[in-house]
Amino acid sequence: MNTDAHASAHAHHWEWSWAPMAVVAGVFFLVPIAFSGFFVYENTLMTAVGAGVGVILILAGVAKWVDEGLTQVPLISGVANIGLPIFILSEIFIFLSLFASYWLMRLGVDSWPPAGTPEISKTIPLIMTVILVSSSLTMHHAEAKLDHGDRSAFNKWLIITIVLGTVFLGFTAYEYNHLISVGFIPSTNIYSTAFYSITGFHASHVFVGLGAFIAVLLPSLGGRTNKTFVTCVSVYWHFVDVVWFFVASQVYFW
Amino acid sequence: MNTPSATAGHAATPAWKEWLYTTDHKRIGVLYLIGSMAAFGVAGLMAIIIRLEQMDVGMQYISSGTQYNGFLYFHGAAMILAFLIPGLTGFAANYFLPLMIAARDVAVPRINAFSVWLFYFAIVLALLSFVIPDAPDIMWTGYPPYSITTAANTSFYVFTVHLLGFSSILGAVNFLVTVIYMRAPGIGWNQLNIFTWTTIAAFVLQLIFIPVLAAAVTLLLFDKYLGTHFYDPAAGGDVLLYQNLFWFYSHPAVYVIFLPAVGILFEILTTMCKNQVFNYKAAVYAGIWGIVGIAGIVWIHHLYVTGMPDWLRLGHMVTTLLISVPVGILTLSMWGTLYKSAITYNTAMMYAVACLYLILIGGLTGIPLALPSLTIHLSETAFVMAHFHFIMALFAAFALFGGIYYWFPKMTGRYADGGLATTSFWLNFIGVNVTFIPLFIIGVEGMPRRYWDYQMFPQFDGMHEIATYGSFIVAAGMLLQFANFIYAAVAGKKAPLNPWNSQSLEWTHTQSPPGPGNFIDDVVVDENWSPYNYNKD
Amino acid sequence: MRLLTATITMATTAMLSTQAFAEGNLANPPAAWEELWNTVMLDITIIGVILAVAAVWMLFKFKATSPEQVGTAKKLTAVQAISWALIPAAIFMADDFYLAAKGWTVWNDYRRVPENAMEVKVTGYQWYWEFEYEDGTVTDELVMPVGQPVVLRMTAEDVIHDFGLPHYRVKEDVMPGRITYIWINPIEANETIVQCAEFCGDAHSDMWTSVRAVPQAEFDAWLSASAEESDFDIDEWKASWTKSQMTAAR
Ligand code: HEA
Ligand code: HEA
Ligand code: CUA
Ligand SMILES: [Cu+2]
Repeated sequence: MNTDAHASAHAHHWEWSWAPMAVVAGVFFLVPIAFSGFFVYENTLMTAVGAGVGVILILAGVAKWVDEGLTQVPLISGVANIGLPIFILSEIFIFLSLFASYWLMRLGVDSWPPAGTPEISKTIPLIMTVILVSSSLTMHHAEAKLDHGDRSAFNKWLIITIVLGTVFLGFTAYEYNHLISVGFIPSTNIYSTAFYSITGFHASHVFVGLGAFIAVLLPSLGGRTNKTFVTCVSVYWHFVDVVWFFVASQVYFW
Repeated sequence: MNTPSATAGHAATPAWKEWLYTTDHKRIGVLYLIGSMAAFGVAGLMAIIIRLEQMDVGMQYISSGTQYNGFLYFHGAAMILAFLIPGLTGFAANYFLPLMIAARDVAVPRINAFSVWLFYFAIVLALLSFVIPDAPDIMWTGYPPYSITTAANTSFYVFTVHLLGFSSILGAVNFLVTVIYMRAPGIGWNQLNIFTWTTIAAFVLQLIFIPVLAAAVTLLLFDKYLGTHFYDPAAGGDVLLYQNLFWFYSHPAVYVIFLPAVGILFEILTTMCKNQVFNYKAAVYAGIWGIVGIAGIVWIHHLYVTGMPDWLRLGHMVTTLLISVPVGILTLSMWGTLYKSAITYNTAMMYAVACLYLILIGGLTGIPLALPSLTIHLSETAFVMAHFHFIMALFAAFALFGGIYYWFPKMTGRYADGGLATTSFWLNFIGVNVTFIPLFIIGVEGMPRRYWDYQMFPQFDGMHEIATYGSFIVAAGMLLQFANFIYAAVAGKKAPLNPWNSQSLEWTHTQSPPGPGNFIDDVVVDENWSPYNYNKD
Repeated sequence: MRLLTATITMATTAMLSTQAFAEGNLANPPAAWEELWNTVMLDITIIGVILAVAAVWMLFKFKATSPEQVGTAKKLTAVQAISWALIPAAIFMADDFYLAAKGWTVWNDYRRVPENAMEVKVTGYQWYWEFEYEDGTVTDELVMPVGQPVVLRMTAEDVIHDFGLPHYRVKEDVMPGRITYIWINPIEANETIVQCAEFCGDAHSDMWTSVRAVPQAEFDAWLSASAEESDFDIDEWKASWTKSQMTAAR
């Protein structure tokens, strides 16, 4: 079970890394501090400093972490393959809570969509679905290439995946922009409430996925990859893709 | 082991870096311990202010109701989220779970470090509420619409919950993987320590239920700052949605506290009684996992007086009462462990014995609360408050303190027992009874919770006064206790490697404190090994 | 297993029969509450005392006499282990169902409003109560004729409050967007209070007012006087409350 039977031969020493603390500090400045600066205290300086410090710390921490992850041999290998699905279980519950809240509100009113809802294009979510599904396929393809040791093909397909993901987010931005311009903002009614919360929450997952892809891509361009890490981002991406079916079907079509 | 190449020249690494940036589970455990005890100290101070204020009718020490509410908010939120959960699943699990299964660290040490820093920054955020204008005054439950309409900065509450929740979820992933994959060769599922079982169970609960809490508070944030309408009945939302989501997590959360506390109790009892766990399999599969199974379907008992449909209230009455079955089986295992044993008394065992009493008072007073027809009067009274202080603030905290005495020689190489320890134990034990038993009595008479003033009930003045004196006794006990810990860590009596003659791996196979990598030689056990194998015939 | 099924069947029948019994006679919830409370206290005291006595006995009896001494309990056989799980489980469940059945009956008393109940509308505000009688009279205290069951239909304007009547052993939340109810039966003349029992901000602990049960004639006089009386000014009353960030915010 314990794969490092040889470990006793090593001289043990205390492990350390500043990367985790840097990322947490970054999150602390970027999220609570900048958010409160903007929404609660309406203080531009606080917002800007919080966001600036936060982003720098996160980037530095993630870069360091990825670098260490690529050069070090983990205590046991392959655990990420089970750890990530366990984590995803947790994510599923957060989406379930959102959907439960959505249906509770929706079934509680007489007519749906409620007054104040403009015509929402059904073509955009269809195009977005196609894009996201293709990005899952391209990612799968990229992984297969890497398994065959074809790094340059891997990089190529990974870049295509990233582009598709970015286009997906572009569509979200376009759609939000359009809807906001016709007066459909989060506070308009309970549909807008659920619409922006759920699609926005999903979009944030796409965003995190893209960030992880970039964290894989940059070292990979320099010839370094870590199989576990690639599997993880890929599984995560497929999960984000699957969730989209639930999001789109319930929020746009049902 | 992780190769150190990235952190070149580790031999010359200064000690502060090795501590502050550590990814070692034992040092992370110590960081958790320090953080959670600090939270306990500050939140305990708040408790003293609360007790002083309630000592007499009228306004005593505070300048407004809002100020009291801010203190009470901090007390409740910090005690649960920053003291007990991190103390039990952060400190105790981090330090001892890998040792008990003879692993060299957790599965992903860096994520473990990530978790502990999320916890620290959450404490910083919570502490900031003392200095920011408009500190949260929304109680640890944060019910809308109040938490939305209040001028206070609710966002700090939400983000504190987010940071701690994220920390716990990552911890859960880490420890589940560790237990599944990193047990030393030979350790089967039925040979795990009870503490290991209770901790995994607690992590399973965290993993499934925290996301629901995260969703609840996120929607609160959206409603307050982005103008959405989830909890706004005027626009089609529902004020009770929040309470349902909140308690869907927060009831299971009480077992996240309860279970590891029970686990620690079993470790102390078996070691000090030199006995095996009575009916181990029933305790694990019916007791621990029975609680996990039922934890998610009883949350309405916190909404007994919110106008929920009758069938829900009655249905959850039955499920809530049924919790006594798995808890009762665990209780029998504890009692059975005493039977035909050979008990040695020391400070850890004294805390364990106190826990046997506290679990009865705290748990059994949950039974009247489980009946909506009684809770229709008892809800939101001091009776509820005394119930959860007995089971949570006293039972779980005493188990944690007992665990600290028990494992102190392992962590420091020294005993924490002695005159100071005994004195502080008795002060704590007497103090908590003097504090909370009067609150049971006036609670039944109708004394409401979250009242800084009680003009309408001048007759409760006497009991409140007794309770306040009780809290002074606890405060004295706790101060002595912390003084004792600090003294013992530097100058306590030196302890041998296995001072209690335990059979558990953290005692039999490691140094005190264990070095990097925990074990000098690889640990292998056979199928006859058990952490509780005292009686060899 | 047979024991288990037997207990479940017994408990279910008990539950059903007590429920049927509860219909008919006009209930007196506070008295039922006291009785149920005593039953539950007796129940948990018995359990607590048995376990406490057992623990104390063992804690003294099994003290180690030498440091080397170990416990002598034998590992349970499979049959013993299963029995030690199932039999206690069945006993605990039996007790649970017994309590559930009792609790269920009293719950019905609390929720079944008598036909002849007088309706009063209650609205909770930060931080005061408002009562509206069937004739439209609005008051700031609750007055009822003795012997007249009263049903309170309750809602709130701002945040969640809770209409708590310790004397009548009843309370229920009062919240925006929903109407909740409780009923009470003032069987004798008295004066008690209603207090807010759900946290609602700054003056939560000052949100109380008097609740009186008076003879019918006195009630009628009070009601007509209140209807005319105009010196009660809700705004003035509001202004007397602790200024809070809350009111400023709204
Ligand atoms: C560690 C924390 C913890 C634990 C373990 C428990 C355990 C239990 N709690 Fe408690 N509870 C809280 C923490 C906890 N609680 C908190 C924090 C609140 C208030 C939150 C707030 O509003 O701020 C609360 C509130 C609370 C309420 C809501 C009251 C209200 O606000 O209106 C209820 C109602 O049912 C309840 C019931 C129970 C029950 C039935 C158990 C059971 O699990 C107890 C089971 C144990 C036993 C029964 C004893 C041992 C068993 C035996 C000896 C076997 C034989 C017994 C029988 C057959 C009866 N609790
Ligand atoms: C783990 C949980 C926990 C713990 C341990 C405690 C501990 C205590 N609690 Fe609390 N309490 C809660 C959880 C807890 N509480 C919760 C959840 C609420 C509900 C909040 C709400 O309504 O929303 C509550 C509410 C609550 C109230 C209700 C107020 C009201 O409703 O108006 C009261 C009143 O008496 C109270 C009192 C106390 C007291 C006297 C202690 C004492 O036991 C405290 C003793 C501790 C100390 C006195 C600290 C002393 C130590 C030092 C000074 C050492 C210095 C520090 C270092 C060296 C690091 N608590
Ligand atoms: Cu109104 Cu509390
Ligand atoms: Cu609960």
